Amino acid sequence: MFLENIKEAITSIFSNKMRSLLTMLGIIIGISSVIIITTIGGSIQSTLTATLNSMGGNTVSAYVEARYPETDEEWDTWVYPDMTDEDYVTQEMIDGLIEAYPDEISGIAAQSNLGYGQIKDETDADNYANVSVAGITPEYLDYMKVEMYAGRNLTKTDNETQKKVCVIADTMAERYFDGRDPIGEKVSVVLSDGSIHDFVVVGVYKYNQALFGQVDTSIPEKDRSTMMIIPLQTCFKLQGTDQTGYDSFNLLLTPLADVEQATADITSYFDKIYADNENFHIYAYNMQSDLGMINTVLNVITVAVSGIAAISLIVGGVGVMNIMLVSITERTREIGVRMALGAKRRTIRQQFVIEAIVLCLIGGTIGILIGVGIGALLGTVAGFIIQNMYAEYANYIIMEVHPSGSAIMLSLFFSMLTGVFFGYYPANKAAKMEVIDALRYE
Amino acid sequence: MSEPVIRMEKIIKTYYEGKPNELEILHGIDLTVNQGEFVSIVGESGSGKSTLMNIIGVLDRQTAGSYFLEGQDVGGMSDEVRSAIRNRRIGFVFQNFNLLPRANALKNVMVPLMYGETKVKDQKERAMEMLAMVGMEERAGHRPNELSGGQKQRVAIARAMINDPAIILADEPTGALDSKTGHMVMDLFHRLHEEQGKTIVLITHSQELASETQRIVTLLDGEIVADKGGAR
Ligand SMILES: Nc1ncnc2c1ncn2[C@@H]1O[C@H](COP(=O)(O)OP(=O)(O)O)[C@@H](O)[C@H]1O
Ligand SMILES: [Mg+2]
Repeated sequence: MFLENIKEAITSIFSNKMRSLLTMLGIIIGISSVIIITTIGGSIQSTLTATLNSMGGNTVSAYVEARYPETDEEWDTWVYPDMTDEDYVTQEMIDGLIEAYPDEISGIAAQSNLGYGQIKDETDADNYANVSVAGITPEYLDYMKVEMYAGRNLTKTDNETQKKVCVIADTMAERYFDGRDPIGEKVSVVLSDGSIHDFVVVGVYKYNQALFGQVDTSIPEKDRSTMMIIPLQTCFKLQGTDQTGYDSFNLLLTPLADVEQATADITSYFDKIYADNENFHIYAYNMQSDLGMINTVLNVITVAVSGIAAISLIVGGVGVMNIMLVSITERTREIGVRMALGAKRRTIRQQFVIEAIVLCLIGGTIGILIGVGIGALLGTVAGFIIQNMYAEYANYIIMEVHPSGSAIMLSLFFSMLTGVFFGYYPANKAAKMEVIDALRYE
Repeated sequence: MSEPVIRMEKIIKTYYEGKPNELEILHGIDLTVNQGEFVSIVGESGSGKSTLMNIIGVLDRQTAGSYFLEGQDVGGMSDEVRSAIRNRRIGFVFQNFNLLPRANALKNVMVPLMYGETKVKDQKERAMEMLAMVGMEERAGHRPNELSGGQKQRVAIARAMINDPAIILADEPTGALDSKTGHMVMDLFHRLHEEQGKTIVLITHSQELASETQRIVTLLDGEIVADKGGAR
């Protein structure tokens, strides 16, 4: 009976295609707009989330920031203070931080560039390699997921004892060492300022465009510069400054850490340490809060569009009610015949409610299909815009465009609800007809 | 003698009851129809034939008097029960066929099964049997607008028969047909009466068709003025 009703409803809807389509228009517009916006929003959200996660998950960035004056008068005479040794964040502070919050913070990621230089082969004047030398905390390499091709990664000990060791690129190793095992070899780097430093090669990393940038193929392979990685503390020492601390760094969080909580903990930890520092303090922030803001904006838009959708569903529902009333008047005779043949009032009511539901569900389904189509298209466009805005991270960006399953389920549910709500009155009107009057209706 | 199929006592039907234009159409009809009778009701247009027929068919309620269908007092029954009685016990054949326009012949014949309380097995087979009985099995897939008047009426008769009703009620079933097809439809009623012993009440304008039946009841201005050949 139920199935029979659905079949009849479909037959009746399709026997008047144009009218049915126009009736469904409100529902189609309402549902498709919700699906479009949730698809785009979901795509932006998941693209950002997936991208941030691919970049090593959660981090908190921090830097030494001057204490800005609070009043206008003070601003007039204020100059940005010079940083002295005491103002830098020391490795001890970091160690203390990790000790204080071992469940949240796993390490520090910091980097300093020593400069460009050339490795010269003393036995063969034609053999050289251009490098840019960078000091990096060992945790940073793990965090960046730098893969080792041979040898080992830099260690904490290398860093703490300011060892003159380095990790070089596989492309450079292959060419410069010409098939020889580079591990344990000593290399001499002549920096652009003329200073010469010797390093022992302990590892070879796999070159990765996403991490180290595009290879410049316009330069002959021999002259191409690759990154040579040394311990950060070694770098500080070679820079000749007394600096052993950090002015800008990223804190690496454990996988389970809550970013906001960690940011708050880091801020309060450094606030205590810098309480007596008149000129500087530590400012800590995270990308998650940017994401949170984007999410908030998207949620506001989603709510607004849902409101519009609700209005168009109501308008669409009134349209459905109207067309059902027309249809019932047109089919009065048919209702009479059905009743004469034994249809009970509730059977008639059920038939027309089902017809209204089917009408709304077809409208809802069309709306969903249109919404998914347009949403996927716009979501892809949004993804490309993000990719272009953050071109330097292009290789990290993971685009995820998919319609929201819950939005689709909800849309179907509300389409159905619209059918029930706006179909009931006309259906009940049909059910209340007197069989003899309906049968004699001209 | 077993309980008559129809037993009406002093049936009165009044339209616009209690209003200034109150109109009494039937003025106390006494009518008994026994099992297996083929009765025709004749009378001028406006004499109240259809009004009477609608009461017999449980489509309408009498204003006064009592009506027993197969011994059951139908007057006081709920709409729900009356629907069930129409479905199970009465087969209607209308002047204007009243087939569902969007359903094919087979589906039309199956409609009463659909509204039946009990699940009938092999619905399609049963409907095809009915169509075969009226010689319409080859048109099972055709919609009403693809059928001639006579064919439509045969489908309607198949539909009326599908639940094996106690009585077939036909209100001017040949009224919309030419005399040749009218006779063919009439022959079908005779066959149902003779071969299956169906009780049939037929309203007709045609004296000729009425004369073919066993019993002729004549209505005039809402009263039975003649009842010939009844009660064997
Ligand atoms: N629903 C109704 N409301 C008012 N008057 C009606 C109604 N149905 C029938 N009548 C009146 O009852 C009388 C008998 O009609 P009807 O039974 O259809 O006659 P017949 O079928 O014999 O031609 C007519 O005068 C008609 O106008
Ligand atoms: Mg009549």
